[in-house]
Amino acid sequence: MIRTVFRMMLVTSLKDKITLFYALLFPILLMAGLGYYFDSPEYRERLLVGVIALSTLFWAVQGVAFQVYGQRNKGVYKLLKLTPFPTVSFVLALTLARTLLGLSINAIILLICAPMFGIALPFSGVIQLLVMLLSGMLCFTCLGFLVVNFARHEGQINMLSNLLQIPMVFGSDAFYSLSAVPEWLARAGKCLPFAYFVDGLQAAAKADIQPWGVSMVIVLAFSFVILVLAALTFRWDPDHREIGFRLRKSAANG
Amino acid sequence: MNRVLLRASGLVKRYGSKSVVNGIDLEVREKEVVAVIGPNGAGKSTTLDMILGLKRQDAGSVTYWRDDYKASVGVQLQSTPFFPGLSALDNLKLFAAFHKRRLSVEEGLRVLELCGLRDVARTEASRLSGGQQKRLAIAVALVHEPKLVFLDEPTAALDPRARREIHELIRRLAESGTSVVFTSHDMEEVGKLADRIVMIRSGRVMAHGTPEELLARYEAANLEELYLKLTEEGAT
Repeated sequence: MIRTVFRMMLVTSLKDKITLFYALLFPILLMAGLGYYFDSPEYRERLLVGVIALSTLFWAVQGVAFQVYGQRNKGVYKLLKLTPFPTVSFVLALTLARTLLGLSINAIILLICAPMFGIALPFSGVIQLLVMLLSGMLCFTCLGFLVVNFARHEGQINMLSNLLQIPMVFGSDAFYSLSAVPEWLARAGKCLPFAYFVDGLQAAAKADIQPWGVSMVIVLAFSFVILVLAALTFRWDPDHREIGFRLRKSAANG
Repeated sequence: MNRVLLRASGLVKRYGSKSVVNGIDLEVREKEVVAVIGPNGAGKSTTLDMILGLKRQDAGSVTYWRDDYKASVGVQLQSTPFFPGLSALDNLKLFAAFHKRRLSVEEGLRVLELCGLRDVARTEASRLSGGQQKRLAIAVALVHEPKLVFLDEPTAALDPRARREIHELIRRLAESGTSVVFTSHDMEEVGKLADRIVMIRSGRVMAHGTPEELLARYEAANLEELYLKLTEEGAT
């Protein structure tokens, strides 16, 4: 049964054209444009890692948030609660399907962009990259679940996602070195997981084990904390939270 | 007398100092069609949510005829919970999987046919008309051949033809031995389908019985008159 659910989640996630644009087409166009403009092999390698990280962030945070919001508001989780199928298994199937698609998108970006600018990655580095991408995907998927738990309408998903995503991108080494930015911005970036995710990807691209390992541990620690927060605030019904306050609206409805 | 499938006793639900449901009792027997009626805000949905386990009651109890009742209960909610990008048939297969059932294409088509949706089996669910989506929601509730079905306003906002098709479907379900609990604001529909009516107002059961019993007890010419009498301010 879980296979059917997983397969259907793959199909429904693939139909999410807006997130696909931001996770696939936008990073490729960004890489092509900036890679063409900045004629430096070092910068192009940084750029490749940056666009992969950006793709992961968009796919996981906004993609999950919009998908979960749509399913929750249509009453899918409410109906799911009335079946013997555990909600946890459903969330797991959705997360796995999106992770698989997210990794495929990353692979497509790599396969298109690396040859475009003659970037070669060592084999062990590719393996490290894959593991880092997996942990990043987990972390940002949890963040997507957390964001949607606090959004009352679709507009708030964008607002809340951007509130987290923009400081994360600007406070990381994704597209420029943080040595050139004000110290407070670099410090702020280190309070969020994206900077460590980018550090881990950059270390993986150089097959550098030690900094990669440190970044992995930190990203996984963030994942755990965000997962706990997302689970505690999870809403299977627009008017209901697992714990904490309940919206007053439900009282009025009767 | 048929056995009891569901017994809800003394259900109470409060939000702060406001009581939404004040000691509602409801019993559903095998092969019975029960209509739960009442004005908007009467507490019908909250009562159903408590019966289905979606909301926790502050007092009272709900007992089903079996412990693993979820496997034998089908629910159609007022919303149309479909997965975007999936066809009507795929949505049905997915919900069957949620009920731990593997649905073959033939079985899926049979359920869709029962709900008048065979021709649109391969159409994306989100592209179906409002009436077709409503029928798909009912098909989803029936996909695991439940013994007891809850239909929350199954014909709301449907055209007369679609309404008639759903009426026939409910009759067929009752004939096949499935118990149906439905909510409705359409008294003509209630009169046609219900074996028993439970009238709720201000979180209490105002009246219950067969349509004939209620018409005689309240000296009403028809169910609409009965409804108006019972929902008048000051009616007891």
